[in-house]
Amino acid sequence: MRRSIVFCLVTTLAVAGCGVGEKPAATPASGGKVELSFLVFETPNLNAAFWDAAIARASAKVPGVTIKKLVTPNVDRTGYAKQLDASGHLPDILQSVNPAGFAEAGKLAAFTDDELKNFIAPKAGAVDGKVYQLPYNTQVIPVVYYNKDAFEKAGITETPKTYQDLLDVSAKLKAKGVTPFVVGGGGADTWADMYPLTGTVATDVYAKTPDFLTQRKDGKVKFADADFTKAAQKVADLAKQGYIDPAGLSRSYADTEQAFRDGKGAMYPMGSWFATSADNSKPDFEVGAFPWPSDDGTPVTPTFTGGGTSVSASAPNVELAKKWALAFDEDKENNDAFVKLDGSIPAIKGYTPPADMGPVYQATVAIYQQGMKDNSIVNAFSQETGDGSLPPGLADKSALGVQDLITGKKTAGEFASYLDDQWTKATQ
Amino acid sequence: MTETQHGTRGEARPAAPRPSPAPGAGGTARARRRSSTRIGPKLGRFSLFALPGLLAYVVFVLIPIGMTGYYSFTNRNPFNPPTKWVGLRNYGDLLGDQEFRQALVNTVIITVIVAVFANVGGLLIAMLLDRPTRLYVALRAIFFTPVVLSAVVISVIWQAVLTDDGLLNSLLRGIGVDDPPGWLSDPDLALYSIAWIITWQMLGFCVVVYLAGLQGVPRELQEAASIDGAGRFARFRNVTWPMLAPALTINTVMLLITGFKAYDQIQVITNGGPGAGTTSTMAFQVVQTAFNGNHIGYSSAMAAVMLALVATVSVVTLRLLQRREVTQ
Repeated sequence: MRRSIVFCLVTTLAVAGCGVGEKPAATPASGGKVELSFLVFETPNLNAAFWDAAIARASAKVPGVTIKKLVTPNVDRTGYAKQLDASGHLPDILQSVNPAGFAEAGKLAAFTDDELKNFIAPKAGAVDGKVYQLPYNTQVIPVVYYNKDAFEKAGITETPKTYQDLLDVSAKLKAKGVTPFVVGGGGADTWADMYPLTGTVATDVYAKTPDFLTQRKDGKVKFADADFTKAAQKVADLAKQGYIDPAGLSRSYADTEQAFRDGKGAMYPMGSWFATSADNSKPDFEVGAFPWPSDDGTPVTPTFTGGGTSVSASAPNVELAKKWALAFDEDKENNDAFVKLDGSIPAIKGYTPPADMGPVYQATVAIYQQGMKDNSIVNAFSQETGDGSLPPGLADKSALGVQDLITGKKTAGEFASYLDDQWTKATQ
Repeated sequence: MTETQHGTRGEARPAAPRPSPAPGAGGTARARRRSSTRIGPKLGRFSLFALPGLLAYVVFVLIPIGMTGYYSFTNRNPFNPPTKWVGLRNYGDLLGDQEFRQALVNTVIITVIVAVFANVGGLLIAMLLDRPTRLYVALRAIFFTPVVLSAVVISVIWQAVLTDDGLLNSLLRGIGVDDPPGWLSDPDLALYSIAWIITWQMLGFCVVVYLAGLQGVPRELQEAASIDGAGRFARFRNVTWPMLAPALTINTVMLLITGFKAYDQIQVITNGGPGAGTTSTMAFQVVQTAFNGNHIGYSSAMAAVMLALVATVSVVTLRLLQRREVTQ
């Protein structure tokens, strides 16, 4: 009996000891190759076949590596990476995982200046001057995509240049019985409601104070300050005037896009990745694009640059893993595929998108290029990475708070104070 | 435990005669030795059979609970090492945490709705289906289907029904309701929509348990009550309902546990919204705090409170309802 109990305990402890918090040793694959795990996410556009082909191309350029593909259960790859890390199994290479938190905790390997020499914005998303995620592509967030037919029927001949123009256009559309904005954020896709606020924060906060979040970190500014509150007030007013339908908050991201395609609203503030979706699967109307306007019409272009691969500091061969990550992100065919399927704007020197890209993508790139020319590029609120980014979890809290703004449950001032409280809580 | 306690619902069975131990301490010791020599080898053999289950229980339940308890006294944040012992600070912070309080209230609301409506609905449906024909047997299977489906599948189905452009509102618009409710987008309605979905899923479970209970009610008792002049309601109140006491116990405890650990439906359908924390439950708050906010220590304290709460409510309910079973 006693022996049975002892056996039981010993076995239990042995199993528990093996299972918790340990990362298995590097697995040498056949032929002396190093096996590296690579975390990817699948979407209808970026499907399994796409990733397999992309992995094969990069692997052909870096001998000595065998890639073991891991797929996230949903598009929240950062959340899944955290869960894997919590169990001691952070993948060796990670695709489009927000490095915030991982980098500061020393879990990611930094890329050297030489390794970043081919990137247009080599310091994008830097943490203490070091870059942990390859800044391979830029996204403009938001671009206002609009239904040209609905504009024409409402007698609108020009896209808005100032914020007042945007309100006037909205009033005309509403008078014709058309909901001006399609805004979603239902299900797990709460983030999809952020884009009007991302636009107003860009024009009213970041245009004046580009390092607002860094200053917030240092305690020099607060969300409850006048500029940010004004940006939030604009969103609350859009909802109050009936320009944003709160019922849209039950729509998932996919349903929100479908609602725009179905003509349930005339303007769709969304990330630039929608461009290729509109080109590849054309709605029944012509889609146009314009940047979110500022009060006086001064151009402001909120963007995010980054989104590439990261390498775990505990990968079995960090140098080889970085080499493979660079091969993956700099591969012309991979980037062409990202452009065609996901509307990305590669931030790699000398890269030119395929010539046959559609009109909505061309219009989107034109907005970005104009922003570069005007020197009007600012961060996109809630999408920032690196030093000037929100603390972990705050982007999700912001999205929930925006729902309160839209439903009228919180005033702009209450929303701003809520963000300050959440910041304090997140950084405790 | 005496042998009379083996009877069900307090029915006493006569105790089997057992050999009397010899008087005095020596006799007692001998009896104990005899007993030990009889049970010892059997226990050893049985423990070998129990080993796989025991091992799984220890590894997957007891050790994680122990680790959670330990982490709850630390500031563990994998992205902000080192981990330090903070004593009861996490528990103190929970007392003033408005979000956790709201999650607790939401959880209680969901739990009460689920426990009441699934029980009442389950009983009514079970009484309707308590007939031996094939149609009713088929209907039982249909009512049970949601129970075997994953909560995620159920959530996706109901999301399609309850969104603004969903089936229900299309139907309402079709019959002339111009501005149908935002079942999932209205902060005042979303929590009740979630509670309804969980109730709907658990309904089949309650139906099956009540059906089993109904089929255990002796026909003679019903007939005797009828002969005594009892009407349908009186027969239900005085014969059927008391005999359903064990079914009520099982259903209530299961529904309480289901309500308290509601997570999947919230994650899939509302993500805690619309708005800050409108539909956030304790389980949802634990996961968000741990994996979104990276505050493993703090979320462990939440999980420990949740565990204590669920255990207390379940045990108290079980005791109260079981007492009712014995007295009937």
